[in-house]
Amino acid sequence: MFVLSPRFRFPAALLCALPVMAQAQDGDLAERLYHSGERAYASKAYKEALDAWNQLVQTSPRSEFAPLALLRLARHHLEIERKPEAAMPYLDRLRSEYLKSPEAAEGMLLRGLLLTKQARRPAELKDAMADFNRILDLFPDAPAGGEARLHLGRAWRDQGQWGRALHLFIDSFRLHPGSPAAPGAMLEAAETLDLMGDLPGCLRMLQRLRTEAPQSPEAQEAIWRMAVRVKHRLQKPPLRNEGPWPAGRVKWLKTPTLLAFAPDGDLLIFQNDLDRTFRLHGSDLTPQGPTAPGTRALAVAPTGAVWMLSKNGLIREDTPAAQPLGALGAITGAALDGWGNLWVADAKTPALTLFPPEGGSRAVASPAANALAPLATGGVVIAADADRKLLFLDPDGQPRLVVPYGKDLPAPFKAVTALATDGAGQVAALVEGGDFGEGVVILGPDGAVLRQATFKSLAISGRITSLAFDRSGGLILCDRRNDLLIRLN
Amino acid sequence: MSLLCAALWGQDAALKDTFLQAKALWATQGDREGATTRFDTVVAGLAPKAVGLDTEWFQVLCESYNWLAVLDDRSAQNRPRAQVRLQALIDLNPDFDLDRALTSQRLAAVFDRLKGEKYALVKLTYAPEGGRLLVDGRPGTPLPKKYLPFGTHKLTYTRPGHATAEITLDLGPRDAKSADFKLTRTASTLTLYVHPSDVEVLLDGQSLGFAIGKAGPDAAPMALPLGLRPEDLSAPFIIPELPAGKHRLELRAPCFRTRTLELGADLATPLADHTLEPIRMEPSKGTLSVSSVWPGGELFLAGQSRGLLPVMDIPVCSGPYDLLVRFPSGGFSQQITVEEGQSVRLEVRPKPRLAFLGLEAGDFTGRARFLAQLETLGDRLQQLVYLPARPDEPPQEALVRLKASRDTELVLIARPVPDQVIHRVELSLATLDGEEERLLVKPLEQDPLDSLVARLNAVPRLQQPGLGLSILDVPGEPGPWVLAASESALKAGLQTGKPLLAVQGKPVPTVLELRQLLEATKGPVSLSQGGATAILPIQTEALEVSLGSPALSYPAVLAQLRLHYAGAKSDDANLVKLNLALVLMQFRRYDKAIELLRDARLSTTRGVSQGTIDYHTGRCFLHLGTSYQSEAGQAFRQALKYPQSTLLGPDGPLVAPLARQALEDLK
Repeated sequence: MFVLSPRFRFPAALLCALPVMAQAQDGDLAERLYHSGERAYASKAYKEALDAWNQLVQTSPRSEFAPLALLRLARHHLEIERKPEAAMPYLDRLRSEYLKSPEAAEGMLLRGLLLTKQARRPAELKDAMADFNRILDLFPDAPAGGEARLHLGRAWRDQGQWGRALHLFIDSFRLHPGSPAAPGAMLEAAETLDLMGDLPGCLRMLQRLRTEAPQSPEAQEAIWRMAVRVKHRLQKPPLRNEGPWPAGRVKWLKTPTLLAFAPDGDLLIFQNDLDRTFRLHGSDLTPQGPTAPGTRALAVAPTGAVWMLSKNGLIREDTPAAQPLGALGAITGAALDGWGNLWVADAKTPALTLFPPEGGSRAVASPAANALAPLATGGVVIAADADRKLLFLDPDGQPRLVVPYGKDLPAPFKAVTALATDGAGQVAALVEGGDFGEGVVILGPDGAVLRQATFKSLAISGRITSLAFDRSGGLILCDRRNDLLIRLN
Repeated sequence: MSLLCAALWGQDAALKDTFLQAKALWATQGDREGATTRFDTVVAGLAPKAVGLDTEWFQVLCESYNWLAVLDDRSAQNRPRAQVRLQALIDLNPDFDLDRALTSQRLAAVFDRLKGEKYALVKLTYAPEGGRLLVDGRPGTPLPKKYLPFGTHKLTYTRPGHATAEITLDLGPRDAKSADFKLTRTASTLTLYVHPSDVEVLLDGQSLGFAIGKAGPDAAPMALPLGLRPEDLSAPFIIPELPAGKHRLELRAPCFRTRTLELGADLATPLADHTLEPIRMEPSKGTLSVSSVWPGGELFLAGQSRGLLPVMDIPVCSGPYDLLVRFPSGGFSQQITVEEGQSVRLEVRPKPRLAFLGLEAGDFTGRARFLAQLETLGDRLQQLVYLPARPDEPPQEALVRLKASRDTELVLIARPVPDQVIHRVELSLATLDGEEERLLVKPLEQDPLDSLVARLNAVPRLQQPGLGLSILDVPGEPGPWVLAASESALKAGLQTGKPLLAVQGKPVPTVLELRQLLEATKGPVSLSQGGATAILPIQTEALEVSLGSPALSYPAVLAQLRLHYAGAKSDDANLVKLNLALVLMQFRRYDKAIELLRDARLSTTRGVSQGTIDYHTGRCFLHLGTSYQSEAGQAFRQALKYPQSTLLGPDGPLVAPLARQALEDLK
């Protein structure tokens, strides 16, 4: 055995202790750098904060503060700079080098969310799902578990796996009742139950959401989602003309031709004589977006921005230049799906045209569509007058359901002028021709007629060109001849 | 002498008989030897314990010496021994005066001579009499004359209500001195006799002590008019200095009604001694009944066992008690107050015990305050019986002890979190089987244990009252809207698709308000939807315990459910099993959960029911790995047989689509 002489024992001990001391000093420096960054960040001195955290990551990569700093850096690029591509390298490093740290769970959650946003079709969700699954496997008790389950459920739902999605949504709020994701998970579970044909289950889930998270935004959503479902699908009262809407307002518009509801519940009205879209908030009518002469279809982005389509092209509220729409000259409808794709129907084109967000276009096989509206499942519903059928298409454009014109009605109609959906499974069609004549038909998500009425029976004599569901179970009609709106209830 | 004999009656009967026989033998038969033998027996019995003898027996001993000296003096053979007897008597009690009728003058002269060799005579006068004399600090009887050994002596005479007087005497051979005590009155005194004794005496709220002992025969004139014997009264309790003014006298004793007497100012002024009429305390009792559906409970009242439960209508003195019921697992404790004439009835259930094992080593600011908060944690816990840490027992040793004895259900250890400076403490709460939860607290906070207390006091619900209805808050409807109803509710006349307009005759606008009303209602409920009123009974609807909730402490939930299970039967017991399994699943103890679920059988098929159990069984098997896939599949297929089974509660999501998906995933 080698024994140091007493003379060398003290220096040797010092040498042995040096790495430990250096590590301790390193830890102190890392902690000070981290807190320095925090202080700067709190006073919105972002550059100083980012410098401190970057320095920490470079100088003390072994410190327990390194993963914290990486997470803060990523969050800054996401939330303040809004540059996901800049956040991704930090999240990648957190995931690869600090997998055992508690921050890795949150980092993977952010990474998964970024990948989800970047995906343009369901198949591109795999990497995001891998991150969410890894959180559940590696950090079963992490607070991020609730959100991971919620987003994993959404990914499965987008791939049409409703059963798996439902299981994850339920586990999200069942196993993480205090998580911020719980109200969202309940809302998603309710919608998924409806998709799976369990309307009572959907309504009970919405009630649970209202009882357990009454102050959440999701509970406010639940109120109208429950109301419209009960009204249209269970109560099904005969449609009644409530007259001009808002009450008593007649001749107050300039040739309204198109209607749509914004995500916040405000009604958007395109007035043809003014070539503009207007937002009706309460009783105030204010212009929204640029002028767009000849607009034939309206679409609303999730942000609330209005997109107007005409043969001249697409005019977006959020983009200055008009985007050409190719040879589409007889646009009959448009819708934005959850992936940011713009679906456009053209009466003279025997297909739907899909405009992905990254540019270009592609045709989706379909009969020529005379009207089009988005479905909550991610697909669209179209009316094909030539075939006298309504087609419910899935996100890939494949028909999920075909409803012949006149099904469940005392007499068939010939054509569909406009379609509207309410985001809770109901589809309204403005119909004309045939023995049925002019009127409206409301269908459920399974294509069954829920409510219907002819304009004759409703004593409506104007020229109705568009319609939209409101959140109380009513239907707003746009009368271009009389320059007013009519509410059916 | 006859009075003395009477007083001795009832003490040591044999010795007393011997004493009396001795005297009779001499007086009636002149049997000197027989008498001597018996007096010797008395002396042999009493002399060794002479210091502790009471007055009467002390007198017997002295008289026996006197008799023995006289008997020995009459026999030439024994005469030398007479002087020894007299010397012993003087050593025992120099103040004893010989029976001059019995004792010869010669013998009396010997006695006086022997006494004069060591003792000097002191003549005493006392004004007023009835006080207490101390000679050199030792109590003595205040006699008119006393013989004291040669030397310096301090004589102190005290009497309640008077200033104490002291006299110092130097005594030598053939001295005969006198000491005259004249006390000055300083206050009034009050003397009490209480029946029974052992009563606390309070004057103006201040405790003065207890009236104890027994009154002497001199109390007979006071006791007899009350139908009591003198010894039934306490010894006199003297309030030595009654301050001027009015006073409130309070007498308290367990099992007796508290007596309060208002004392007038005339008792204090002018200064005098007063004796109150004897005070008789009235008994005060109630009854106590304690029962439990949990077996094996033993009742302890104020630390005394009162038998195994059920304990019915046992008489109990009125007053506050610490009531404890010890069960084979868990315990129940409550502070109760039994009012006079009232019956206290308790139906108890065991609460889990939480043993605090201690705060591990590590110095930090506020440690003492934090430890004190931990030690008094029990005062804040409503659902647990708290067992404080044993002094000087390290936490790990305590854990080993408790694991061996199983004398607790839960253990709590506090560990300072090592850092540059300790500002956080980790609280580890665990069952003895290791299901553990950790909570970080900041000891410098105002109430660092607030969150822990709230979680430990929270009780998960396993059932809720219901009417067999599915109801919704539909906007625009005047009351809860009936989505679905059970068969019995439909038979009772309830209609789906319509709102409830009135419940118990009153409008109930929302589902939440209806639930609150049901919580507060017992018996059938009348419901109106505009037409005829339907009467529905309140049913209990099964619930799953809320998992992952920050409001609950899951080791404590496990402990509560385990005790709950011991007292539950049939479906209730199986519902507890299901919920135990759910909590174990949260701790990822899937094998243990399966053991419980496998044996659980619910007779219900709607809501949380048999299908729910089967579904969770399947999920547990899935967690055990691929080798248990067939068992998982079997469980899911079983679950599909109950299409109305739900998760969470009666309005929770159906199990069937989840089981179907799980089967699909297994393919």
